[in-house]
Amino acid sequence: MPDNWSYVFAAYGVAAVVLLAYWRRLAARAKNLAARTARRSA
Amino acid sequence: MGVRALGWLAVLALIAGLGTAFGYAPREAVQGNVQRIMYLHVPAVLTAYLAFGFVFLGSVGYLLTRRPGWDRLAMAAAEPGVIFTGITIASGSIWGKPTWGTWWTWDARLTSTAVLFLVYVGYLLLRGMIDEPDRRARAAAVVGILGAANIPIVHFSVKWWRALHQPATLLGPEPSPIAAPIFLTLLVNWIAFTLLLLYLLAKRTEIARLEDMHAG
Repeated sequence: MPDNWSYVFAAYGVAAVVLLAYWRRLAARAKNLAARTARRSA
Repeated sequence: MGVRALGWLAVLALIAGLGTAFGYAPREAVQGNVQRIMYLHVPAVLTAYLAFGFVFLGSVGYLLTRRPGWDRLAMAAAEPGVIFTGITIASGSIWGKPTWGTWWTWDARLTSTAVLFLVYVGYLLLRGMIDEPDRRARAAAVVGILGAANIPIVHFSVKWWRALHQPATLLGPEPSPIAAPIFLTLLVNWIAFTLLLLYLLAKRTEIARLEDMHAG
Protein backbone atom coordinates (compact mmCIF):
# COMPACT_ATOMS: atom_id res chain seq x y z
CA MET A 1 0.00 0.00 0.00
CA PRO A 2 1.38 3.49 -0.82
CA ASP A 3 2.35 5.63 2.16
CA ASN A 4 -0.16 8.47 1.58
CA TRP A 5 1.90 11.01 3.51
CA SER A 6 -0.42 13.81 2.35
CA TYR A 7 -3.27 12.23 4.36
CA VAL A 8 -1.04 11.92 7.43
CA PHE A 9 0.00 15.59 7.26
CA ALA A 10 -3.60 16.67 6.58
CA ALA A 11 -4.85 14.86 9.71
CA TYR A 12 -2.13 16.27 11.99
CA GLY A 13 -2.48 19.70 10.34
CA VAL A 14 -6.23 19.90 10.96
CA ALA A 15 -5.72 18.89 14.62
CA ALA A 16 -2.95 21.45 15.12
CA VAL A 17 -4.99 24.29 13.56
CA VAL A 18 -8.11 23.48 15.63
CA LEU A 19 -6.23 23.17 18.92
CA LEU A 20 -4.17 26.32 18.31
CA ALA A 21 -7.30 28.30 17.38
CA TYR A 22 -9.05 27.19 20.59
CA TRP A 23 -5.99 27.96 22.72
CA ARG A 24 -5.67 31.45 21.14
CA ARG A 25 -9.37 32.10 21.80
CA LEU A 26 -8.93 31.14 25.48
CA ALA A 27 -5.78 33.26 25.78
CA ALA A 28 -7.58 36.30 24.30
CA ARG A 29 -10.53 35.88 26.71
CA ALA A 30 -8.17 35.51 29.68
CA LYS A 31 -6.27 38.65 28.65
CA ASN A 32 -9.50 40.62 28.25
CA LEU A 33 -10.75 39.49 31.67
CA ALA A 34 -7.41 40.34 33.32
CA ALA A 35 -7.64 43.85 31.86
CA ARG A 36 -11.22 44.23 33.14
CA THR A 37 -10.18 43.02 36.60
CA ALA A 38 -7.28 45.50 36.65
CA ARG A 39 -9.59 48.36 35.60
CA ARG A 40 -12.05 47.38 38.32
CA SER A 41 -9.43 47.37 41.08
CA ALA A 42 -7.80 50.65 39.87
CA MET B 1 1.16 22.96 39.88
CA GLY B 2 0.29 26.22 38.13
CA VAL B 3 -1.78 26.36 34.95
CA ARG B 4 1.15 27.77 32.96
CA ALA B 5 3.48 24.97 34.13
CA LEU B 6 0.82 22.41 33.19
CA GLY B 7 0.64 24.03 29.74
CA TRP B 8 4.38 23.73 29.22
CA LEU B 9 4.30 20.13 30.43
CA ALA B 10 1.57 19.42 27.87
CA VAL B 11 3.65 21.07 25.11
CA LEU B 12 6.69 18.93 26.02
CA ALA B 13 4.53 15.80 26.10
CA LEU B 14 3.02 16.67 22.69
CA ILE B 15 6.54 17.11 21.24
CA ALA B 16 7.48 13.71 22.71
CA GLY B 17 4.27 12.28 21.21
CA LEU B 18 5.10 13.61 17.75
CA GLY B 19 8.67 12.30 18.15
CA THR B 20 7.43 8.80 18.94
CA ALA B 21 4.71 8.88 16.25
CA PHE B 22 7.10 9.90 13.46
CA GLY B 23 10.53 8.83 14.74
CA TYR B 24 10.10 5.77 16.95
CA ALA B 25 6.99 3.87 15.82
CA PRO B 26 7.70 1.51 12.92
CA ARG B 27 6.11 1.74 9.48
CA GLU B 28 3.03 -0.49 9.65
CA ALA B 29 3.37 -3.59 7.46
CA VAL B 30 -0.07 -3.52 5.78
CA GLN B 31 -1.17 0.14 5.70
CA GLY B 32 2.24 1.81 5.45
CA ASN B 33 2.86 5.22 6.98
CA VAL B 34 -0.77 6.34 6.77
CA GLN B 35 -1.36 4.20 9.90
CA ARG B 36 0.52 6.95 11.85
CA ILE B 37 -2.83 8.80 11.93
CA MET B 38 -3.77 6.26 14.63
CA TYR B 39 -1.44 8.06 17.11
CA LEU B 40 -3.68 11.11 16.75
CA HIS B 41 -7.05 9.42 16.22
CA VAL B 42 -7.09 6.99 19.18
CA PRO B 43 -5.70 9.37 21.87
CA ALA B 44 -8.15 12.05 20.64
CA VAL B 45 -11.20 9.84 21.21
CA LEU B 46 -9.94 8.57 24.58
CA THR B 47 -9.37 12.17 25.67
CA ALA B 48 -12.88 13.09 24.48
CA TYR B 49 -14.29 10.24 26.63
CA LEU B 50 -12.38 11.64 29.62
CA ALA B 51 -13.62 15.19 28.94
CA PHE B 52 -17.23 14.01 28.77
CA GLY B 53 -16.60 12.04 31.97
CA PHE B 54 -15.75 15.39 33.61
CA VAL B 55 -18.97 16.85 32.15
CA PHE B 56 -20.89 13.97 33.78
CA LEU B 57 -19.08 14.47 37.09
CA GLY B 58 -19.67 18.24 37.07
CA SER B 59 -23.33 17.75 36.13
CA VAL B 60 -24.00 15.24 38.93
CA GLY B 61 -22.04 17.44 41.36
CA TYR B 62 -24.11 20.48 40.45
CA LEU B 63 -27.48 18.72 40.79
CA LEU B 64 -26.46 17.35 44.20
CA THR B 65 -24.90 20.49 45.68
CA ARG B 66 -26.05 23.45 43.50
CA ARG B 67 -22.53 24.85 43.75
CA PRO B 68 -21.58 26.85 40.61
CA GLY B 69 -18.05 25.39 40.63
CA TRP B 70 -19.43 22.02 39.48
CA ASP B 71 -21.30 23.69 36.63
CA ARG B 72 -18.14 25.53 35.60
CA LEU B 73 -16.24 22.22 35.56
CA ALA B 74 -18.90 20.63 33.32
CA MET B 75 -18.94 23.55 30.90
CA ALA B 76 -15.14 23.83 30.83
CA ALA B 77 -14.83 20.12 29.97
CA ALA B 78 -17.53 20.13 27.28
CA GLU B 79 -15.65 22.56 25.00
CA PRO B 80 -12.40 20.55 24.68
CA GLY B 81 -14.52 17.36 24.59
CA VAL B 82 -16.27 18.65 21.46
CA ILE B 83 -12.92 19.68 19.97
CA PHE B 84 -11.31 16.28 20.61
CA THR B 85 -14.38 14.51 19.19
CA GLY B 86 -14.17 16.74 16.12
CA ILE B 87 -10.50 15.85 15.72
CA THR B 88 -11.41 12.16 16.07
CA ILE B 89 -14.03 12.41 13.31
CA ALA B 90 -11.81 14.49 10.99
CA SER B 91 -8.71 12.31 11.43
CA GLY B 92 -10.79 9.13 11.07
CA SER B 93 -12.34 10.44 7.88
CA ILE B 94 -8.91 11.38 6.46
CA TRP B 95 -7.59 7.93 7.45
CA GLY B 96 -10.66 6.22 5.97
CA LYS B 97 -10.20 7.60 2.47
CA PRO B 98 -6.92 5.78 1.61
CA THR B 99 -7.69 2.64 3.65
CA TRP B 100 -11.46 2.08 3.18
CA GLY B 101 -11.82 4.06 -0.04
CA THR B 102 -14.37 6.49 1.44
CA TRP B 103 -14.36 9.61 3.62
CA TRP B 104 -17.49 8.53 5.48
CA THR B 105 -19.83 5.56 5.88
CA TRP B 106 -22.87 5.12 8.17
CA ASP B 107 -21.09 2.45 10.19
CA ALA B 108 -22.14 1.99 13.85
CA ARG B 109 -18.93 3.46 15.30
CA LEU B 110 -18.87 6.46 12.97
CA THR B 111 -22.56 7.19 13.39
CA SER B 112 -22.51 6.91 17.20
CA THR B 113 -19.43 9.18 17.33
CA ALA B 114 -21.22 11.76 15.15
CA VAL B 115 -24.21 11.57 17.55
CA LEU B 116 -21.84 12.06 20.52
CA PHE B 117 -20.40 15.16 18.81
CA LEU B 118 -23.86 16.61 18.09
CA VAL B 119 -25.14 15.93 21.64
CA TYR B 120 -22.33 17.98 23.17
CA VAL B 121 -22.56 20.71 20.51
CA GLY B 122 -26.23 20.84 21.57
CA TYR B 123 -25.12 20.99 25.22
CA LEU B 124 -23.02 24.11 24.46
CA LEU B 125 -25.79 25.69 22.36
CA LEU B 126 -28.29 25.08 25.18
CA ARG B 127 -25.99 26.87 27.60
CA GLY B 128 -25.87 29.83 25.24
CA MET B 129 -29.66 30.03 25.01
CA ILE B 130 -30.50 30.35 28.74
CA ASP B 131 -29.53 33.54 30.57
CA GLU B 132 -30.59 32.69 34.12
CA PRO B 133 -27.54 30.94 35.71
CA ASP B 134 -29.33 28.35 37.89
CA ARG B 135 -31.82 27.36 35.17
CA ARG B 136 -28.98 27.13 32.64
CA ALA B 137 -26.87 24.99 34.95
CA ARG B 138 -29.80 22.63 35.75
CA ALA B 139 -30.81 22.15 32.11
CA ALA B 140 -27.17 21.66 31.05
CA ALA B 141 -26.61 19.15 33.88
CA VAL B 142 -29.50 16.98 32.65
CA VAL B 143 -28.06 16.95 29.11
CA GLY B 144 -24.56 16.36 30.51
CA ILE B 145 -25.76 13.28 32.41
CA LEU B 146 -27.89 11.87 29.58
CA GLY B 147 -25.16 12.56 27.00
CA ALA B 148 -22.65 10.42 28.92
CA ALA B 149 -24.82 7.36 28.18
CA ASN B 150 -23.60 7.63 24.59
CA ILE B 151 -19.94 7.01 25.57
CA PRO B 152 -20.29 3.21 26.13
CA ILE B 153 -22.47 3.03 22.99
CA VAL B 154 -19.63 4.60 20.94
CA HIS B 155 -16.96 2.42 22.53
CA PHE B 156 -18.77 -0.91 22.31
CA SER B 157 -20.58 -0.23 19.01
CA VAL B 158 -17.94 -2.25 17.15
CA LYS B 159 -18.77 -5.27 19.31
CA TRP B 160 -22.55 -4.84 19.47
CA TRP B 161 -23.10 -4.30 15.72
CA ARG B 162 -21.40 -5.55 12.59
CA ALA B 163 -19.14 -2.63 11.66
CA LEU B 164 -16.55 -1.65 9.09
CA HIS B 165 -14.52 0.00 11.84
CA GLN B 166 -11.96 -2.28 13.51
CA PRO B 167 -12.58 -3.54 17.10
CA ALA B 168 -11.13 -1.58 20.05
CA THR B 169 -7.31 -1.52 20.07
CA LEU B 170 -7.20 -0.29 23.66
CA LEU B 171 -9.70 -0.64 26.53
CA GLY B 172 -11.13 -3.79 24.99
CA PRO B 173 -12.18 -6.86 26.98
CA GLU B 174 -9.23 -8.92 25.68
CA PRO B 175 -5.49 -8.08 26.07
CA SER B 176 -4.35 -5.64 23.37
CA PRO B 177 -2.90 -7.49 20.33
CA ILE B 178 -0.69 -4.60 19.17
CA ALA B 179 3.14 -4.64 19.10
CA ALA B 180 5.05 -3.00 21.97
CA PRO B 181 6.47 0.03 20.02
CA ILE B 182 3.01 0.84 18.67
CA PHE B 183 1.46 0.48 22.14
CA LEU B 184 4.16 2.67 23.70
CA THR B 185 3.65 5.37 21.04
CA LEU B 186 -0.10 5.32 21.66
CA LEU B 187 0.52 5.58 25.40
CA VAL B 188 2.86 8.60 25.07
CA ASN B 189 0.35 10.40 22.84
CA TRP B 190 -2.53 9.49 25.15
CA ILE B 191 -0.66 10.98 28.13
CA ALA B 192 0.17 14.10 26.08
CA PHE B 193 -3.48 14.61 25.08
CA THR B 194 -4.62 14.04 28.66
CA LEU B 195 -2.19 16.70 29.92
CA LEU B 196 -3.44 19.05 27.19
CA LEU B 197 -7.04 18.41 28.27
CA LEU B 198 -6.18 19.11 31.93
CA TYR B 199 -4.47 22.36 30.90
CA LEU B 200 -7.42 23.50 28.76
CA LEU B 201 -9.82 22.50 31.54
CA ALA B 202 -7.91 24.49 34.17
CA LYS B 203 -7.65 27.54 31.92
CA ARG B 204 -11.31 27.46 30.85
CA THR B 205 -12.52 26.94 34.45
CA GLU B 206 -10.52 29.96 35.61
CA ILE B 207 -11.95 32.09 32.76
CA ALA B 208 -15.49 30.99 33.70
CA ARG B 209 -14.85 31.85 37.36
CA LEU B 210 -13.67 35.36 36.42
CA GLU B 211 -16.63 35.81 34.04
CA ASP B 212 -19.04 34.83 36.83
CA MET B 213 -17.29 37.24 39.17
CA HIS B 214 -17.68 40.12 36.68
CA ALA B 215 -21.30 39.17 35.91
CA GLY B 216 -22.18 39.00 39.60
